[in-house]
Order: sequence, then structure tokens, then C-alpha cells
Amino acid sequence: MKRSITIILLCAALPLVGCDSSRAPAFQLSEQSLELSGFARDKVQGELSSGFGSPAELVVWPELDVDFGQFGGTIGKVGPRPGTIRVGQSGTEGLSSQSELAVDRLLEGLRGAAVVISKVGSNEEASADGDKPVEGGAPEGSAGNVYRVASYDAKSQLLSVVDESGQPATLDAADGDTVQILGSALQSGRNLYLRHCMHCHGVSGDGAGPTAQYFKVKPRDYRQGIIKFTSTKASVPRPSRDDLFRIIKLGVPGTYMPSFMLLPDDEVKMISEYVRWLAMRGEMERKLNAWLVTSYSQEAVDEADSPAELQAEFDTEWAEEAGDYIERFGNDLKLDWQDANKPESVVNPSVPRTPSSPESIANGRQIFLSKDAKCASCHGETGRGNGPSTEAFNDLPGQPPGTKSDKPGLFDNWGNIVEPRNLTTGVFRGGRRPIDIYRRIHSGIKGTPMQAFGTTLKEEQIWDVVNYVLSIPFEDKQSVH
Amino acid sequence: MNKFWPIFFMFWPILAIVSFVIAPAMNWWFPGPAMSPLGQQIDNLFYLILVIVAVTFVGTHVALGYVLWRGVDNKDQKAWFSHGSHNLEILWSIAPAGVLMFISLYQLDVWMEFRVKSHFPEGTTPVAEVTARQFEWRIRYPAPGKKLMTTPQADDLYTVNDLHVPFGRPVSIRLRSMDVQHAFFVPELRVKQDAVPGTVIPVWFEASQLGEYDLTCAELCGWGHYKMRGRVFAENESGFERYLKTLQAEQNFDGVTQPEHSGAQIAEYGIEDSQ
Repeated sequence: MKRSITIILLCAALPLVGCDSSRAPAFQLSEQSLELSGFARDKVQGELSSGFGSPAELVVWPELDVDFGQFGGTIGKVGPRPGTIRVGQSGTEGLSSQSELAVDRLLEGLRGAAVVISKVGSNEEASADGDKPVEGGAPEGSAGNVYRVASYDAKSQLLSVVDESGQPATLDAADGDTVQILGSALQSGRNLYLRHCMHCHGVSGDGAGPTAQYFKVKPRDYRQGIIKFTSTKASVPRPSRDDLFRIIKLGVPGTYMPSFMLLPDDEVKMISEYVRWLAMRGEMERKLNAWLVTSYSQEAVDEADSPAELQAEFDTEWAEEAGDYIERFGNDLKLDWQDANKPESVVNPSVPRTPSSPESIANGRQIFLSKDAKCASCHGETGRGNGPSTEAFNDLPGQPPGTKSDKPGLFDNWGNIVEPRNLTTGVFRGGRRPIDIYRRIHSGIKGTPMQAFGTTLKEEQIWDVVNYVLSIPFEDKQSVH
Repeated sequence: MNKFWPIFFMFWPILAIVSFVIAPAMNWWFPGPAMSPLGQQIDNLFYLILVIVAVTFVGTHVALGYVLWRGVDNKDQKAWFSHGSHNLEILWSIAPAGVLMFISLYQLDVWMEFRVKSHFPEGTTPVAEVTARQFEWRIRYPAPGKKLMTTPQADDLYTVNDLHVPFGRPVSIRLRSMDVQHAFFVPELRVKQDAVPGTVIPVWFEASQLGEYDLTCAELCGWGHYKMRGRVFAENESGFERYLKTLQAEQNFDGVTQPEHSGAQIAEYGIEDSQ
């Protein structure tokens, strides 16, 4: 009797306990960061935390080229104390949000939310768009003074803001100006990402979510800022917003990335914006590591005659130079990602596709087999993806030239073996439109041994190769790989 | 307290019947009216069976209630042992057998029409090949004006998760699976068919009205089963033709000669066509 009561009580308590709730999503440090000595790692972690926050408490770094989305209201009255604003007239609504998340939820999810104040008449566009992602990243107003939210009381509609040093801000604002808080779209993006993407791509965007371990083709690790299938030139290292949008909408056939065709466009945009932001976070971490790893790795500490001295040296260097480095890294991030969205960064041929004639296909085949292009060395003479390079010891991409792999095969930047595309299956991961294949040949596939041929081949020659590739009769072999 | 058990046992069947009666009004019923002629017939069969079981259910429960209610105050009569009645046994074996036989023969036409290829309605045109995959629907159309071939052709058109068909005439798809078992389920059209790896299964349906219908996977196919959200878009002939042409333009885009359509537009122009 006693036992059955215990069992019943235990069963009744199950819903209260629920699943393991201790595993709140958190950003993980990369493997490279773990090679750093403890003191350097703490600084890197601290820097990432203050620049990007955690999944539960995002930090908006307004300088980045990310459309964070915004919510806010009109300033009813500046004051009464320094650094405070009454939003709206008393009795009307204070801060208001156009996103599906309420204002208090939005504020809760941001650490030191960035506040932008736009003068009457100067930035109407920025405020009118509200939560909707706007092309071109942060609104104009953010270029001026950026304040941070200290607190907001919905009842009195009193918003307290501080400046970067944490003191009540001296506000350059007048009654009637617009006050906007950045980060609403980023939070919606985060929620959507955690729902749809996280289980493969991971909370930190490291491509190591819980389901990733079962895949032969690994989910993309964004932290290098590299996406394989882009429309951008070989010299532009980052993907454009449109590239990410297209990949999410259409999926990547031949991999496990499914299509999210029926997600509303604005949701897809918010997801892609969050992915860009995650990639920037990962890049920032890599940049900090690259700066610190030679002098302050754990290995260096172990080998040092006096670890304490090394730490003191590090502290001095950090205090003197970290600010400059971080500013430069942030600026690089901004420029790289902005570059990808410039119209001139997109590969667009100036001549239309050569009609697919026997001559053009034969030309394409000549180039495919030629010593200059050497397509066949990886893709094989018949295009089956079994060229001799797949069994050779090759240079590792993304490493100093001459670094050979210790296993035969072709490797990508993420250390995975890649199989050159078997062109007979009719599966084209980056899209099957002629322009997609043209872009693959023109700018290569970033992060992989597929080179860019935009400089070595003429446009007409690339079109011939496209015609040849599309003419390879394919087997109806329906396999994922 | 004596009346507890009769009331207890009658409460549940009455609750069941009440919930059935209010179900259509509360939107607990079918996902909308059947949007295809065959779906209408399937619904009719469903209602026929519902009437048969409802009559049986009510009859048996009224009898049960009567017996329980009468037994509460019946202190005099003792229970007796019975070997049963041979005639009754025959009656209640033959009656259900007859009902089952009637249902199985009566539904045969609909079953054959839905499942047996030689009984498909005349003029059923294959419009697309739908290949289920973890976790999406990959769709292959023939080029406008061409027939769907069993092997992929160079001018075939490809899309994903968004199946467009003309309405008002029977069309069929070639249903396949690339990996595991999936099921092609369009609730409003009352179509459900498993996709089995290694086989091509023809599935026909006819949307009777212009509209957008949910396409879901009805076979637990893996952790991302819930992601297999697609739609069937039934439009008029010219709209369908235009859709294929737009798809063709999009697919042959070379960055120079045609305006670029983004993936978003693929999803959107179906809706524009209908209005």
C-alpha cells in the first residue's frame, strides 16, 4: 500500500519536475578559446559577454551591421532627474512594441539595451519601420550618442538611461523626440532560431547541436563567417542577406538542411539576421584568439619560467591594447558584412548564357578536362566526383600553404572531408539555375577546395562549362549524399 | 448512493454523445468540408458508419442503463445461471457480420477509385513527381506543355514544399521517398498515402475549388517530422500554366536576360495569381 502511494505521488510530481530545466541555452566558447590560458580565456569570455551577451540576455552592439529591430515611443518629457525620460503623455501608452513580444519581455531579454534618440523630423523613417527588419542595418540615429537602459517603470512610464560609463546620461533630447530601444528583431530572431535551427546548428552557431552528431554532412558552423553557397565574389568573404534568405527558404538539396519555404518572409529575415549576428560573435572570438594565442596559450603558461610574470605581462598588454584591437575587430566585422550586401559584390555576368549547343558543350568539356581549369582532377573525367585529388594528400584550406592533411582526401575549412560534387546525380546544393552554377565556378565555394575561376576563365568559357555541367546526363539516383 | 453506479455509467456515454453533437460547432470536427469529389464520398462513408455505430452505441447503453437502474431497488429477485440462448447467439453473430459485409461491399467503389490505378477517373493527368525527404517535399514538374516523364528530363522544373495543381480536374502525382517512410496527407482533400522508399506510388486527387490546402507528413519520419510543412495550391488552368512559366523563367535565370525571382517570390506568386 505504502509503495503504491509513493509511486502515485511520484507520478503526480512528474509534471512539476518536467524535463531537465537546468540546461538553459548558453553560448559556448570555441575549441581555440579553450587552448588559451585561464586568464586570457576569462578576458575573451568577458569581452564576448559584454559585446554579445547570452541567449537569455542579448547585448546589442549598435556599431555592427545587423538590423537589430527597435521598439520605443515618443518622449513626453525629459526629466525629472538627469538621465530620465517620461515616455509619452501620462495616461497614454509608454514604450510600445510592434513585435509579438511585449515590452517587458523585450527589456528583460536585453542586457543594457541600447537606446537611440532621434530628433523630431530627422529620422522619421527609422522610427516608422518599427520592429520590421530594415535593409542596411542599424538606423541612422545610432551613429550619434548611444545610451543604455538602466530601468523602465511601465506604470510611471519613466525610462532611466545611462551612458557608457554607467552614469546617468546627459541627454541630448527634447520633448517630442523619438526614443528607440534596439533589439526587438534580434530577440524574435533568437526565438525563431532556437525553435527551428538550434538543434542542428547549435546555440552558439557552432554546427554542433544535439542532432548534428547523426549527420554525415555536418551542419554549417557559422563562427568563421563563411557560408558555402553565396552569390558574392571570391574577394568578398561573407554572404549577403539575400544568400542566407535563399538558403533558408529553399534548403540545401543533398544535405540535411530542409527548406523553410512556408515560414513568413519577415521571420526568415529575422532568422538570417540572427545567424549573421551569431557569425559575427564567432568571428570576434576567433579574432581575439588569433591575437592572444601565440603568447598566452595554456601551453605558453606551462612552459613559462614564471607564469605570474606572464600573466602580469598579459594584464599590461590587455589594458593598453585591448580597446584598440576590439575597436578594429568590430570595424572589420562591420565592413566585411556590409561589403557582402553591396550590389557590386554580387557576381553577375555581363554576357548572357551561351545557348546550350553541342559546340558550347564540347568547349565546356574541353575546359573541364584542360590543364588550366583541372576540374577533372577533383570531379573526375566523367563528373562523378571521383578525381585523383580525392585520394591524394592535399593542402588544408584556411591553413598556411603547405599544411598537408594527415589523411587522404579533400578537406574544408571546418576539418570535414568533402566529396567533390558528383555531377551525374542532378543534385546541386547551391541551386540548379545557370546563374548558380556560374557563380560556383566564378567565385568557387568558400571554405572548400573548390577554387574561384573568375579570373582564369573568360565569362564565355564559364558559360560553356555551365552548359557542359548541365548536359551531363544524370542518373536518377535519389540518395542524400 | 444506490444510484451512483447507474449514474456513473450513464454519465460517460451521454458525455460522449453531447461532445459529438457539439463537435462540429466547436471546430473539433473535420478540417473543413471535403474539397474534392472523392473526399465528399469518403465523408459520406464516414457518416454512414458513424450512424451505424451511433445506433448500436445508443441502443446498447440504453439497455445497460435500464438494467443497472432496475437492479438498484431489486432486492427480491436473485441472479440465476444461464448457458445462454442458442438463437440469440446466432442472431448477434449474424447481424454484425451482415453489417460489416454491407460496409465492406458498399465502400468498395470508393476504395477502388482511390487506390487502384486501373479505376482512376479517366483523364487523370500526372502533374508532378513529389519526393518526400527528411524533412521536406521536393517537387519536379515537367516543362510547360510537356508530359511528366518517369526519368528526370533536362528541362524539368524543380521546387520544394509548394505543390501547385490545377483545380476542377483529376490530377495525379508520382509519390516517392528518398530516405524513410513518409505520408502525403492533404486533410482538406481527404488524401493520405504513404511514401515508401524504393517505390513510386501514383496518387490522384481533384481539388474542386481554388484554394490553398495544408500538406503535412502523416507518418512519424524522424525528429523533424513536424517540419514537413507544405502546401497544395489549387489554381485555375491559366494560373497553373503561368506558375510553371514563372518557375521556368526563374530556373533558367542566367543573371542577365531575365528578372531575378527570389525564393520568396516563388512562394508568393501563387497567391497573386488567384486574386
